[in-house]
Amino acid sequence: MAAEKQLLSSRMKETQKKSLTHGFLRSVEAFGNRPALEVEDEVLTYVELFERAACLAATLVQYPSADGPPLTAVFASRSATAFAGILGVLLRGHGYVPLNRKFPPERTRTMLLRSGCRAVIVDSASERQMDQVLEGIDSGILVVLPERQATGDLAARWPQHRFIGAAALASPEQWGPVEVSLDSIADLLFTSGSTGVPKGVMVAHRNVRHYLDFITENYSISPEDRFSQTFDMTFDLSVADMFVAWERGACVCCPSEKILINPGRFINDARLTIWFSVPSTAVFMKRLGALKAGAYPGLRVSMFCGEALPVEMAKAWSEAAPNSILENLYGPTELTIACTHYRWDALRSLSESAYGIVPIGEPFPGMVPLVVDESLNEVRPGEDGELLMTGPQLSPGYWLDPVRTEAAFVKPPGRNEVYYRTGDRVRKPVDRGPLLFLGRNDNQIKILGHRVELGEVEAVVREEFGVDGVVALGWPRTVGGAGGVEVFLQAEGPARPNLKQRVAERLPSYMAPRRYHYLPRLPLNANGKYDRDALIKHLEALP
Amino acid sequence: MTPITENDVRRFLLDHFSATIAANGLSPMDLGGDFDLLATGVVDSLGVIEMISAVEQHFKITVDFEPMDPAELTMLGKFSCFVAKNAVDSRLSP
Repeated sequence: MAAEKQLLSSRMKETQKKSLTHGFLRSVEAFGNRPALEVEDEVLTYVELFERAACLAATLVQYPSADGPPLTAVFASRSATAFAGILGVLLRGHGYVPLNRKFPPERTRTMLLRSGCRAVIVDSASERQMDQVLEGIDSGILVVLPERQATGDLAARWPQHRFIGAAALASPEQWGPVEVSLDSIADLLFTSGSTGVPKGVMVAHRNVRHYLDFITENYSISPEDRFSQTFDMTFDLSVADMFVAWERGACVCCPSEKILINPGRFINDARLTIWFSVPSTAVFMKRLGALKAGAYPGLRVSMFCGEALPVEMAKAWSEAAPNSILENLYGPTELTIACTHYRWDALRSLSESAYGIVPIGEPFPGMVPLVVDESLNEVRPGEDGELLMTGPQLSPGYWLDPVRTEAAFVKPPGRNEVYYRTGDRVRKPVDRGPLLFLGRNDNQIKILGHRVELGEVEAVVREEFGVDGVVALGWPRTVGGAGGVEVFLQAEGPARPNLKQRVAERLPSYMAPRRYHYLPRLPLNANGKYDRDALIKHLEALP
Repeated sequence: MTPITENDVRRFLLDHFSATIAANGLSPMDLGGDFDLLATGVVDSLGVIEMISAVEQHFKITVDFEPMDPAELTMLGKFSCFVAKNAVDSRLSP
């Protein structure tokens, strides 16, 4: 019995050592009075952030749901509640499902329902959408509102749900450690799905742990570091800022949208040492004249991810941040945050880049790439193909979606491991050269770093307009992807008013079509499919 | 190129964002020059890039935003006025 107990205790230590919150809890002990988070003009030390998170974790434990998966949603952005909420959900032993008030409430409801979450933590700014999100949800949901005192009005409107305000929260002492399996879900992130329904990517503790271990070592993160937090929580790159910083006692500096409109000022005002954003943010800064040589001497690491990084941007950034290393990261959510990296080098990189794009470099240690042809057989060095990847960061698949999981997570001929099909076209390096990103195999595009399945836009437009012939295109084309979405309909015009509005109510703003073009017949190619190239020519020819 | 007026830019933006504005429960009629597209959630910080590219694409212009205070980029009136004053025919610029 005693031996069994000892075994259990050592096993618990082992699992806690590797779970997502392990580094944070260690930093609470080691750096308790150092800043962990700056948000909304407030500085929270590690101890303060831990206490807020523990309150939420203990509250969630007090009101367990009889059924439902070990997942809890966090409907909060750029607030202390958002960060404490994510930590609280993890400390309770659940995975978190981030929701975003920038998305249409209808989409947020779909995510909440699809995830099966029975509890959600909400900040005051997101609370305004709560009525719209709860509309039509019959099964009881626990709604935790740590920024709100009285909850009586909500309870009266929604008798089927339970509301917990600040006064009813548990105390931090009531929280106790929960054992977490490394294979359990740390976060469930919804990404655009080509059939019109967002799909949830399961990210396991094991996956994020591998990323954290590599990044913290590779960049020698220390308690002196100050991290940017440019990504919304619904964007998987946000996981990196938080947990890499907390792993080593560093501080996460989360700007408001208002501050983020002037990223250059934010870098210097917040005294950032680590920058992480989509390349579009750098493009924006360049347009505002904010990439002058030597502008950001305090940065020591700059990372870009989420879309192709133009060579011009890398050059401008490395001049603006002369003391910083610059890394181009690459990776779909299914391979956890990022899985390849390329260090920009003023002398070497120009010859290694192609088509004006910085290479995506080499895989993280432990990640195994495979560049394949259409039958999933490996191509020869120097040839182009689809990038497949496996390794410790490989996601367990899509939430409650075995069909789509099976289609994207495959065993290529003659291989024993499951690989994820990225759908990205790359060139297989000759010798030890870097991987080059060439484009997409399918109709997925990137807008401001966001993954957009054109099929999802088409599905929503088709449903709302009641028209079968619909083609969505990324337009105008940019080096990194596309500026926005435009759609072609085989129709004379909209059958009813407000249809465009209905579409906008269902899609995030970056996915909502900018323009609608009506054609009596959509052109077909030789295979009888809609001819996208002809439609692009049509757009190019428009006055 | 016919010169672009502040009103042209404003009208384009209101049309461009009409669905989002309506989805936020606002009416384009209520929106004055001091209307902040960011504070009301019509655009976010990254959305401003999309907004600029949409305006440039529509009017076939390029605009040098360097002299502009970024805080004013999302003010409907300030942005429209700045674009009208600083628009350069994109077919003329390199």
